Amino acid sequence: MSQIDERRSDTVIGMGLLAFCVFAAWRTLKVKVQAGSTIAGPSFLPWLMIVAISILSIVMILRAMRREHGATVSVPDRAALVKIAIFVALLVAYAAAFMPLGYLVSTAAVVIAGLWLFGERRILMLTLFPVALIGTVYLGFTEVLKVWLP
Amino acid sequence: METLSYLSQLLNPAILGAIALGTFGGLIIGALPGLTATMGVALLIPLTFGMTPVMGINMLIGIYIGGIYGGCVSSILLRTPGTPASAATVLDGYPMAQKGEAGRALGMATVGSAVGGLVAAVILATLAPQLAAIALEFGAPEYFALALFGLTIIASLSGDILKGAISGMLGVLIACVGADPISGVLRYTFGISGFASGFAFTPALIGLFALSEVFTQMEKLATGEIVSKKITGRWPSWQDLRDSRGALVRGSLIGSFIGIVPGTGSGTASWIAYNEVRRSSKTPEKFGTGYAPGIAATESANNAVCAAALIPLLALGIPGDVVTAVLMGGLMIQGLAPGPLMFQSNPDVIVGIFGGTFIATIFMFIFGMALIPLFSRILMIPRHILSVSIVLFCFIGSFAINLNPVDLYTMVGFGVLGWGMQKFGFSQAALCIALILGPMMEANLRRGLLQAHDNLFEFASGPITQLFLLLTVLSLAWPMIAKRLARRRSATTQENEDQ
Repeated sequence: MSQIDERRSDTVIGMGLLAFCVFAAWRTLKVKVQAGSTIAGPSFLPWLMIVAISILSIVMILRAMRREHGATVSVPDRAALVKIAIFVALLVAYAAAFMPLGYLVSTAAVVIAGLWLFGERRILMLTLFPVALIGTVYLGFTEVLKVWLP
Repeated sequence: METLSYLSQLLNPAILGAIALGTFGGLIIGALPGLTATMGVALLIPLTFGMTPVMGINMLIGIYIGGIYGGCVSSILLRTPGTPASAATVLDGYPMAQKGEAGRALGMATVGSAVGGLVAAVILATLAPQLAAIALEFGAPEYFALALFGLTIIASLSGDILKGAISGMLGVLIACVGADPISGVLRYTFGISGFASGFAFTPALIGLFALSEVFTQMEKLATGEIVSKKITGRWPSWQDLRDSRGALVRGSLIGSFIGIVPGTGSGTASWIAYNEVRRSSKTPEKFGTGYAPGIAATESANNAVCAAALIPLLALGIPGDVVTAVLMGGLMIQGLAPGPLMFQSNPDVIVGIFGGTFIATIFMFIFGMALIPLFSRILMIPRHILSVSIVLFCFIGSFAINLNPVDLYTMVGFGVLGWGMQKFGFSQAALCIALILGPMMEANLRRGLLQAHDNLFEFASGPITQLFLLLTVLSLAWPMIAKRLARRRSATTQENEDQ
């Protein structure tokens, strides 16, 4: 774990939120507004939220800049961050492969890779545990809960 | 007579079994540090698909009650609260365990949790129908103001009010994805048909609360410690029970009251109860040294919140805390819309929930007492095995709801978002509640403005609307008022000392 100054993280997040608001505003302009008798159309609440988030993000940035001593935020060190990034990529790949490859094959690959990423190196754990877990979940959902799995 | 027939359905062995299973599972989840009751409920919602509403919802309530109680285990044995709700239990529970009296401490926590749970269940069954009868009179402006109040109180109680408010507004904006609730116009779908009805709520919750915890566990894995302690004894002594009578009553009532206020939650209740019981005790110096009433106060308060938080959910359709927000997802999956109308359309479910809360509390007491000698073994389950199993449940659970692969991406996306929010102090609870209250707020705001011909004064002219709007302003201003009051109090104390 390493520490970063909260003032810095708040500033960066505030700017990120402002960029997000610009993007959301651009998309809101594309929402079809029907001609009608009320101001409260489909883009009414989104505009309210975009304006409010923008104002609060600016307040957050200003607050971070005015603070003399910020608290620190603990963030994972580079190795842990890389591991988490790989894990997220693995999960996205799992979501993509779930339908085409089917539950059994895609899940087996992800469970074994996940265990490996978490530091498990025992062959028995890398083989028997996935079989037991995947089999139990499969039978539980398909046979007991009658949920179809690909 | 009807009430009795609704209650008799709870004697069905399948329903009793589901409540027992839920309570047991919740207890194990709550006992493991880092795994919260919220996560347990979110993760296991998909298991309730094929169940009847009474069975499914009561199973989830069992997980909630068991999970909040289970948090005391690692608080007492490891000095690491299993759930945020049991953080205050560390103060007296851990010193007691260090004296070799872990069994007695766990026993006291079990008794306290059961008393708190039962008292709040009575309050739930008494108060919820009355509140629902009042809420039946609400129109669109009242509902909008109530939803706004529910949202702001959660934002204002989430530590940093600014970040809480941003989280809540972000949640409302995210809830706008999909067809708008009045005219059906599509918003922010990017041409993906899977988003036409917005982000699926349950996969979003699973990601926000369960998958994000896996990322956190991944960070902590290097520093994880597994401790094994032998536990002897399980019953608190008569002296403990006599000393704790007042703490049990106070804790239960404080927990029940706090649970009714939307957004406060078990963690707040247990700290307030602990402070209140210590303040009114004849022996305040004993608190913090391993004193049974300290455990009784915190545990009765945090478990009282479980049933009490169901009151605003069932009577008004506003979740009392973040777990009940997730529970609301469970109700919606069953095709139920929590709120005053449910008392008329589904009285069997309402009565079933009242009865189920009692039964789950009793199961919690039985399992808690029976498992005390085994608790240290539960804590030894390897975290990486658990994390990988959770990931699998997150995926299959998210997919099983709509059989829609888009929901898997939603779940992963919200998992990453939840983890990031947790890291940088943004409230996941505020975002979650906003996802629920956003559509309700929008529909009622727009309907109300249409009826009032866009006249804001007419829209806000009702006394109930004005009351909730006033409460909204107060809840937003409260952190600043409290800070100012504290500053003034400390200045007065300083002046007195100087004199």
